[in-house]
Amino acid sequence: MNLQEVFYGAEDLISPGLSACPGCAGELTMRTVMKIMGKNTILGVPPGCMAGAGVVGWNRLSGAKVPITIPLLDNTASMLAGIRRYYQSQGRNDVRVVAFAGDGATADAGFQALSGAAERGENIIYICYDNEGYMNTGFQRSGTSSKGSNTSTTPVGAMRKGKAQHKKDLPLLLAMHNAAYVATVSPAYVQDFVRKIEKAKEVTCGLAYIHVLSPCPTGWWFDPKDTIKLARLAVQTNFFPLYEYEDGRFYQTVSVKQAKPVQEFVSRLGKFKHLDQEAIADLQQWTDRRANLLQRLCAESPA
Amino acid sequence: MTSTWISPTGDEGIYQIDTGKWRTFRPVINRDRCTNCKLCGYYCPVSSIKLSNQQQVHIDLSYCKGCAICATECPRGAIDMVREGEE
Repeated sequence: MNLQEVFYGAEDLISPGLSACPGCAGELTMRTVMKIMGKNTILGVPPGCMAGAGVVGWNRLSGAKVPITIPLLDNTASMLAGIRRYYQSQGRNDVRVVAFAGDGATADAGFQALSGAAERGENIIYICYDNEGYMNTGFQRSGTSSKGSNTSTTPVGAMRKGKAQHKKDLPLLLAMHNAAYVATVSPAYVQDFVRKIEKAKEVTCGLAYIHVLSPCPTGWWFDPKDTIKLARLAVQTNFFPLYEYEDGRFYQTVSVKQAKPVQEFVSRLGKFKHLDQEAIADLQQWTDRRANLLQRLCAESPA
Repeated sequence: MTSTWISPTGDEGIYQIDTGKWRTFRPVINRDRCTNCKLCGYYCPVSSIKLSNQQQVHIDLSYCKGCAICATECPRGAIDMVREGEE
C-alpha cells in the first residue's frame, strides 16, 4: 500500500472518538497500525493508555471494529499466543493476532510473557508504544523511562533528581531473543513506519516486535502540536535510532549523517527541565554509546 | 443511539465520545497556500483529515481535538488555528 491508500483510503478500524489526550502519538500509531493490519485481526490491548482511552470495553462498549480483548498487564503475549495457536489449529493462518501494549506492559510487568513468546517463536505481532512511563495512571517511572525523568515516583527535590537509571533497551533485547522480526519505528518517519508494519504483518513464523517511541504531551510536558516534531528530533539526535533486525542481521533504516546534540531534544521537554549540563552530558554519552553499538552491529551484518 | 459503525460485540455500535467538544482552536485550511500534498493526514492522531470526492484534503471537525499537529507539520504553513467562536 502506498501512503495515500493507508492514510486516506483504508478504513479506520478504531472508534473515532477516543479519550486519548490531544496530540497523542499512541493514538496515531494505533490507528495507522490497524489501517495496515486490516479487518482480519484480533487485537489485545493490556491496561494502559490505549485501553483506558476506550479502545477496550465490555459488551457494547468496545472501541474497535475488530475483536478486541484486554489481557492482564503481565500476560499479553502468552494470552495472544494461545489465541493464535487456536486459529492455527483451525487452519486459519490468515487471522493476525496483534498486541498493542504500552512500555509498562512490555518492558516491566509483561516482560516474562513476551520473552517466553519470543523464545518459543509464537507467531504474534507485538507492538509496543513507548511513552517512557505509566502514563495512564499519572506518569509513574517504568523500566523504559529515560535517566533524569521527573516522574511521580521519582520526583525532583532536594534528595533526588529524577530517575537514576538509564532506559532499558527493549528492541535490542528482543533481537537477542532471535525474534523473527524486530524494528524500531517513529510516527514522524511515515514511509519507514508503514514499510515496517507491512513487513511485520507478513511474518509467518516467529514473533514480530515493533517498538514505537511515542511522545506524550501530558507526561513529558510539551505542547501537543510538537508531538511529531519531537518524534523526529529523537531520531535526528540518535536518541531513538531507527533500525530493523531480521535473519540475524541488523539494518539501520534511517541513517542520520550529522546527529544533533541530545540537548536539542531534552531541552524541549518539561520532564527534563531540571537537568544540569552534567546530566545532559550523561544522556549524550549513553546515546553515543548506543549509536556506536548499533553501528557496529549493522557493520558486522553482511549486506 | 444508532450508528453507522459496525461492531462485533454489540448492536448499538462502538464506544465513542464527542471529542469534538474538547477543541479550543480549530484548524482551517488556507486554500491559497495548500498544495494538496496530503502530508497533514499522515500525522493526524484522530484521522480527521479526509479526502473529498475531488481528491482535495479537508478537515472533518466532528472529532478533531484541536492538537494543531497538522498546522505545525504543514510544509507550506497552509493550516491556521482559529479560536472556536471566532471567524
